[in-house]
Amino acid sequence: MDNVIETNGLTKKFGRFKAVDSVSLTVKKGEIYGFLGLNGAGKTTTIRMLLGMIRPSSGYACINGQPVHAGNYALWNHVGYLVEIPYSYPDLSVRENLEIIRRLRFINDFHVVDQVMENLQIAQYQDRKAKNLSLGNAQRLGLAKAIMHNPDVLILDEPANGLDPAGIVEIRELLHSLAHDRGVAVFISSHILGEISRFATRLGIIHEGKLVQELNIEQLESLRKRRLLVNTNDNQNAQAILGEKGYTVNRVQNGLIELADKDAIAHPENINVLLVQGGCPPTLLRVDEEDLEDYFLRIIGRN
Amino acid sequence: MKELMASVWAEGLKVRKSKMFIITVVFFAFIASMMGLLMFVAHHPELAGRSAALSAKTSILGNGDWASFLTLLIQVILALGPIGFGMVTSWVFGREYADRVAKDLLSLPVSRMTIVISKFVIILCWCILLTLTLFLCGLFVGVAIKIPGWSSTNVLNSFLIFINSSILTFLLCTPVAFLACISRGYLLPIGFAILTLILTNFVAIGLPNIMPYFPWAIPALYSGIAGNELPQAEAISYFILIVVSIAGFIGTAAWWRFADQI
Repeated sequence: MDNVIETNGLTKKFGRFKAVDSVSLTVKKGEIYGFLGLNGAGKTTTIRMLLGMIRPSSGYACINGQPVHAGNYALWNHVGYLVEIPYSYPDLSVRENLEIIRRLRFINDFHVVDQVMENLQIAQYQDRKAKNLSLGNAQRLGLAKAIMHNPDVLILDEPANGLDPAGIVEIRELLHSLAHDRGVAVFISSHILGEISRFATRLGIIHEGKLVQELNIEQLESLRKRRLLVNTNDNQNAQAILGEKGYTVNRVQNGLIELADKDAIAHPENINVLLVQGGCPPTLLRVDEEDLEDYFLRIIGRN
Repeated sequence: MKELMASVWAEGLKVRKSKMFIITVVFFAFIASMMGLLMFVAHHPELAGRSAALSAKTSILGNGDWASFLTLLIQVILALGPIGFGMVTSWVFGREYADRVAKDLLSLPVSRMTIVISKFVIILCWCILLTLTLFLCGLFVGVAIKIPGWSSTNVLNSFLIFINSSILTFLLCTPVAFLACISRGYLLPIGFAILTLILTNFVAIGLPNIMPYFPWAIPALYSGIAGNELPQAEAISYFILIVVSIAGFIGTAAWWRFADQI
């Protein structure tokens, strides 16, 4: 059994509104699947269906080959999760909140709470009430609850929310180590492609409830648009020179010339020669790679 | 059983660490003390001075003996129970939504039915504690202010009526729990608990003949303090109360099991 998480035609309708529309995806052991979408794209609804919190209108989800539904609660022995902002019982301390999860997950080892607090660097706040934690530490507490029982599957909804840059790096390293060293399948949602592409092995882009693209992280590089940006003292003349040679020339907002031809991108020196010979030497020649967020917006049709 | 024990432990911790727990216990103790004070004023009318309202209140205390005081305590639990127990139930179920922590309980290796049962177990324990607080504080204050006419048999009989009335009131908390779940908070269930108390009084005054069939009036009929003019609770009355209780429980459990937890 290779697929740890599998959905097939997963759909959720709220009245006439389709929050999630026929999402089919798979996540394998040791894979970090980045689930990317704007706010309201259907990420959290999908995650709640994966966790049996919402019943699909049609389609199904399986974890470890077992169907997900509210009655199949033995399934959750192997799954850790964090959904949206990780609220905890506000009047209970960090330790008490973790102790509740330890008991409800039937973990006999008392030390597991200390270990997970150490791992997530919240041991110093163990007696602090959850309501007095900073957003970043509340997020760490949520992650501690998710990983305390060493799950085989981790389903995380925007786990980097509220964390400072150092915290984001720590969480990234933690998830990377869980996936690579222990073979944990990680399903992680985010709305920031730049962040998630740093450690995800595969990406799924969801927009208006539909999975619009699925790709490996290596494919992402090849799919990102590249262009050659040129500037001269007379861009109108330069545009004419390059146009005569058969290049497709566009002017971009700040007046620069943009060439998308593969030949121009591969050999900017040829463009330089042409412009110098035409009496219009370039003051700028730069191969520009499409920003990850621009790529994401292009895929969902917002750019 | 292991699941239930773990879940009851977790619910117990949440209750023990809450302000609501302390507030309700102190409030019930305070009300018992106030009843004792009222008895004290009944024995010392000069303390009421020219307060007509206070004089009127003390006049309902009958002979001012232990029998009157114990009847008063039963009246108090019948009036305070639906509100107090309703608030406790609203808090135990509603706080999971108000504090947005319900999702932490939904994907654990514990069935949702177990979680619902453990919540009702903890509500029962809490309600029994409040009941005992009211009764024992009442006894303590009664002894302290030297109410005349102590009879151990009478106290024991009153205690049984008192505790049974409480249990009947507790059984009617399941619809409150259901409303806390579907409204995902406190307001609707607490409003409902207050409404049932108001309706019970309306029914007692305006439609006394339907009291045996109105679930929320049945604890009062059982206690016998409503007087001989009113109809008595019958077997059908207890059957109706139990049906309402079971319906509330099934509704709550079904909601946890089948409703979308958004």
